[in-house]
Amino acid sequence: MRSSSVGWLFLAPTLLILFVFGVLPFLYVLVIGFTQWNSFAADPEMRFTGADNFRRLVFDDQFLYSLWLTLKFAFFAVVSEIVLGYFLAQAFMRDFPGKGFFRTIHTLPLVIAPIAVGATWRLLTVPGLGPLPYYLNRWFGYEFNISRYIDQAFFTTVVMDVWHWTPLVTLTLLAALSSLPKEPFEQAQIDGANRFQIFWHITLPLLKPAILATVFIRMMDALRTVDEVWMLTGGGPGAATRYIGLHIWRVVFPKTDYGYGSAMSLITLYLTIVLCWMLYAGLVARRDLKRAD
Amino acid sequence: MSDRAEKTEGRRHGFLPIETNAFDRVFIAVLLFVALHLFWMRFVEAALPLGVATVLSLVLGAIIVMRG
Repeated sequence: MRSSSVGWLFLAPTLLILFVFGVLPFLYVLVIGFTQWNSFAADPEMRFTGADNFRRLVFDDQFLYSLWLTLKFAFFAVVSEIVLGYFLAQAFMRDFPGKGFFRTIHTLPLVIAPIAVGATWRLLTVPGLGPLPYYLNRWFGYEFNISRYIDQAFFTTVVMDVWHWTPLVTLTLLAALSSLPKEPFEQAQIDGANRFQIFWHITLPLLKPAILATVFIRMMDALRTVDEVWMLTGGGPGAATRYIGLHIWRVVFPKTDYGYGSAMSLITLYLTIVLCWMLYAGLVARRDLKRAD
Repeated sequence: MSDRAEKTEGRRHGFLPIETNAFDRVFIAVLLFVALHLFWMRFVEAALPLGVATVLSLVLGAIIVMRG
């Protein structure tokens, strides 16, 4: 048997699973996105309507607002996680008493299910019951009420996401920092570079692949966040934290508008792909090209 | 070794600001196809039918695949 045939044979189970659970559902959603299918409508049958769902979508203010909110959420969450994760990784590179204990404690949020994270933060922040609004009011006279103030609700969802996912960034960057070669740093110190110059010209370029991979993973996750936010705020107050995943859920399940919900899912997928690709093209491909020139 | 790998992958530098292979160019063409249609439906369709956007994006896609 030729080696390429053996290779395909080994790949076959993975490809089959990928096709059944990845490609087929995508194709199904793609088809439904071009139909009108609502089991509560006067005509509950699935009917092909061309690009009508997408035409409705580009004028749907609620959808566009949800999209804008999601982008804002992803930006604040991912940037905070990367910055905080980098500093924590640098801290864990040094020796200090109780380092192993802190590293374990710090990793714990990662193993908690998102719905439980949402419930925990709900108990922490719910007005009249949670300790956070109580002590903020008692110590600082600050009225903290995520059921009333939209900015507080928004930033609480961001902080919750940062709390949940920063350990992932820390672990990734810690692994990357541990594997960096020592020679460029020693050479830079001999040449008299200061700490910022070493960070900017050596650490950051060497860490770029790890940072990019982490940003991609976190961005994709942040753009499709549902359960934590659903548990914490339910999308409120009003529509202040109704991110795109929650918005799609409301359209697909309570309203049973499957065609329109599929179209929204496709646009969200499209946006995620475009953002990741632009990030890759802007930060990696262009710089590689300049270097080659 | 790396030159050989690049040649087998068919990477080249056309008018696009990055080096691409055939898959990259088709991918960019599809992304632009969708973006142009969404833009057209939102801002232009009242004046010009969506078919014009389809023809335009197919022409643009062909140019990107051949010259990009």
